[in-house]
Amino acid sequence: MNNRDLLLMGLGNLFRRKTRTVLTVLGVVIGTCSIVVMLSLGIAMDRGFQEQLSYMGDLTIIDVNNYGYYDGGMGSGGQQIKLDDQSVIQFQKIPRVTAVMPVRSIYMKMAAGRYVGYVNVIGIDPEVMEPFGFSVEDGRLLQASDRDTIVFGKSVAYDFYNPRMQRNYYYGMNRDNPPPVDVLSAKMVMTTDMQYGETRNRWQDDTDSTPPKVYDVRGVGILEESNSEKDYSAYMNRSSLEKIMEEERRNNRNDRSRNDQSQFERVRVKVDNIEDVESVQSAIQALGYQTFSLTDILNSMKETSRMIQGILGGIGAVSLLVAAIGITNTMVMSIYERTREIGVMKVIGAQLTDIKKLFLIEAGLIGFSGGVVGVCFSYLISVGLNHIGAGFMGPGSTSGMSVIPLQLALMAIAFSTLIGIVSGYSPARRAMKLSALEAIRND
Amino acid sequence: MKKTVELENARKVYRLGDEKVVAVDNISLSIAEGEICCLLGTSGSGKSTLLNLMAGLEKPSKGKIIIKGKRVDKMSETQLALFRQRNIGFVFQSYNLMPMLTALENVSLPLTFRGVPLKKRNQLAAEMLENVGLGKYLKHRPMQMSGGQQQRVGIARAFVSKPPVVFADEPTGNLDSKTSLEVMGLMLEMARAHQQTLVIVTHDPGISKYADRVYTILDGNIETILENH
Repeated sequence: MNNRDLLLMGLGNLFRRKTRTVLTVLGVVIGTCSIVVMLSLGIAMDRGFQEQLSYMGDLTIIDVNNYGYYDGGMGSGGQQIKLDDQSVIQFQKIPRVTAVMPVRSIYMKMAAGRYVGYVNVIGIDPEVMEPFGFSVEDGRLLQASDRDTIVFGKSVAYDFYNPRMQRNYYYGMNRDNPPPVDVLSAKMVMTTDMQYGETRNRWQDDTDSTPPKVYDVRGVGILEESNSEKDYSAYMNRSSLEKIMEEERRNNRNDRSRNDQSQFERVRVKVDNIEDVESVQSAIQALGYQTFSLTDILNSMKETSRMIQGILGGIGAVSLLVAAIGITNTMVMSIYERTREIGVMKVIGAQLTDIKKLFLIEAGLIGFSGGVVGVCFSYLISVGLNHIGAGFMGPGSTSGMSVIPLQLALMAIAFSTLIGIVSGYSPARRAMKLSALEAIRND
Repeated sequence: MKKTVELENARKVYRLGDEKVVAVDNISLSIAEGEICCLLGTSGSGKSTLLNLMAGLEKPSKGKIIIKGKRVDKMSETQLALFRQRNIGFVFQSYNLMPMLTALENVSLPLTFRGVPLKKRNQLAAEMLENVGLGKYLKHRPMQMSGGQQQRVGIARAFVSKPPVVFADEPTGNLDSKTSLEVMGLMLEMARAHQQTLVIVTHDPGISKYADRVYTILDGNIETILENH
């Protein structure tokens, strides 16, 4: 008997008992729906995490910090590893690393005309700006030949204020007005003197010490808004900044924070893609450094959501299990009803495998159609949930509360079909083993 | 004459609790190719059990059953199913048509099991139905037909795949005498047309007149053998 005939015969048998078929399919629909919807919540949660994190920064960047790493517990005596030029070279040698960015930063006061602002100035190598995702909205990025030039993060200009006015600036909140300072055209200076430009109290001024030097700087670019830490800093050529820091150190011996100029505050390492972050990170850790990447957070978040998904999926699975029992029950009933029919089929030449296949096909069809309808319903439910949940998740989120990827839909259909076939297996065997004699009994 | 069906000392004993019921005691017979033979007996004589043994639906407790040179009693279920598909047609007392299938689909069912393509099997089945006088009833379902018509569909189904042996179990048991005559005539005609061996089980002596040879069964043994010429 060929498969097409079996399929048609199976369909015919199901249509013959519409009510029972529909009810059994309904069970599978509910089961599939609950699994798919539950999993879709988990998937949406995962996506939400990833989205949130990508707002926080680039997922493919590993930060190596100079916190002083003690090899605790290993008994090697707490030797501190330096984060210096040597380390940068080491990191560059690790495979899958595309760029390494040593970072120095200094907190400075900037002034442009009457406006002043506190700015975190970061020294950076111009050539790694692009790999680390810097791009300008206006002007240009840093170049190797730049000396006193600065590229500003998008929010920096909004932080300038006029100290002679009532202090009523908002930290970058009021974006409707243009920023008080046009950083690209204004003549700017910067200094480590935090009192610079403020209305001074002459009497309290310490006239013994020479005031810190004031450096002329020039803005050449404004970065694109990235909604990340990048927006809040100004960037300068690292060599220029190091020179300034060196000068400051000489002028001000009290500065205890930068006692070792050869060390970086942190080194950022850019990796090829997200999948390789973990391996590169462990390679760096193996060198003895303390690392941090958003992937760490992502992994722990993923673990959490995997657990939640497991629980949700488990709840869904229970209803599918009930549906599976329903299928078995329906098939068993069907066999009781069709005992005679099965016997006749055997007598007039049906192969044993044909009978088994017929019942498996019927059970599989129940599972399959339940899966298809269930997935359709799940999409409807998902749309509804996203509609309701839109406000709850916040306007920034694009993924919503429930996400059903195509793979999940296809998997669900395949799985429910499989469930159908598995549930139908024992009844099918039973049908196969029925005695053909039943057919000839004249009762 | 080639032997199509042979029984050698076939015996079938049922166990009902502690009691043994001997349905077929000790029967040996042989039916030649193209022969039309009748097993005549009252209810409880063991004739139906004998038919079941021949058709491989039951295993004998003892003895040999040979159809077309093959030991049916030694076959496994799977082998039997295939053997039946290729060699045996069956006419039932209560017709046993598939209620959800049309007459045409019912007749073509044995061909479906053999994997004959749809077009071919519909053509063959339509021809068969034409032969049994139901050319206008191809699309009717069993519920829409009289007993006689249903039995004719049953006969068409049994003969459609041209099996060498056709067993008929009380084929006229549920029919009135006039229809019985028609049905018997049809079966004989078909069997003779293709030299098929036909084995009819009946309790009606009137039916036995149609057979070439009549075995009268009593208490599980052959009582008399009557040859009609």
